[in-house]
Amino acid sequence: MEVAEQNTETKKRLTVEELQIEILPVIYEIIRSIEKDHHETSAKTRESQDCAQKVLELQKRLDQARVQIRLLPGIEFSKEQQLNNLEALKTQLRLKQELLHKYRYMYSFQSHKA
Amino acid sequence: MASQLSTKEKLLSLIDDIELISKEMIENAIAPKHLKLSCSDYAQRTQLLVAKDTELKETLKLASEQAKIDEKMDILKAEVDRQDQDINQLQKQLKEAEQILSTAIYQANQKLQSIHRANKRPVSSEELIKFAHRISASNAVCAPLTWQQGDPRRPYPTDIEMRLGFLGRLSDPINGHLLQQQNNISELHRSGHPGDIPASQPNQFAWHPSGEIHMSVGQGSVQVDTRNHKQETEDVEVMSTDSSSSSSSDSQ
Repeated sequence: MEVAEQNTETKKRLTVEELQIEILPVIYEIIRSIEKDHHETSAKTRESQDCAQKVLELQKRLDQARVQIRLLPGIEFSKEQQLNNLEALKTQLRLKQELLHKYRYMYSFQSHKA
Repeated sequence: MASQLSTKEKLLSLIDDIELISKEMIENAIAPKHLKLSCSDYAQRTQLLVAKDTELKETLKLASEQAKIDEKMDILKAEVDRQDQDINQLQKQLKEAEQILSTAIYQANQKLQSIHRANKRPVSSEELIKFAHRISASNAVCAPLTWQQGDPRRPYPTDIEMRLGFLGRLSDPINGHLLQQQNNISELHRSGHPGDIPASQPNQFAWHPSGEIHMSVGQGSVQVDTRNHKQETEDVEVMSTDSSSSSSSDSQ
């Protein structure tokens, strides 16, 4: 169940592509192995051992998913908030560029020679 | 805005939900028969689990879109930082320029005031030059141009000159008439030093403060007027022409 997206990333940040969350198969395996009814005791013990391992595997997968989600970039805000931030940043950039332009070309020494 | 859940929180909560549901289902699988869930409950739980998983996938798609937007924002932030730097630089330069200009204006003002003061009381350059000439004629300001090491001339009265002066000759009755004669002369200028000069230099030229040369002939000193006066006027004239050629003096 990998989400396949194409992306480039810097260190310490993950892309969704690198995220691996395969939880459902593990759950399925666990339940299947519990439901399997073995008649031999040796198979049963073996099965229960495998089961325990799978449960641990599930736990590990969940924790791993949590850690990886924390490393994803850009999800500190909801989509709307992020878009609003983007707009604000664009406005800020525009204003600053205008200010700079105004200061640079405010007084033309050549044309104001009197 | 705070009421909106950030995507991160959403994802994490989805994972927690899946964990809970899966735990429930597993416990249900190992539970004894009388504690098992009913069929419909079990089916419901399964459906819920699948739904949560789908939701998780969709939210992850959203997260990837947000990551792209985040990249754009980083680029924009870098641009904004650059603009900030430019603005700061410009501010610094403007401040510097303002400071330099204000200093220049202040100094120009001072100059204008001093020009105004000078214009109120003009002095002729001829007078200034004459005074300068008189001050420097005794060679106290600068050695004569032909002065070399070993030249006995000094900018101050030497001991020989002092001895030949009024005080030095006070106790000398033989040269009393000379003293009187020299008295008259010394009222105008100091006397030179005849006779005491070594024989190697019979004609000793001595400078006097008024700028006249005294040549020692025998026991007396003869004032060499003509040459020096000419020289003096020459000097003054030369200096005048010099001054008139220079641009800073006022012509009167």
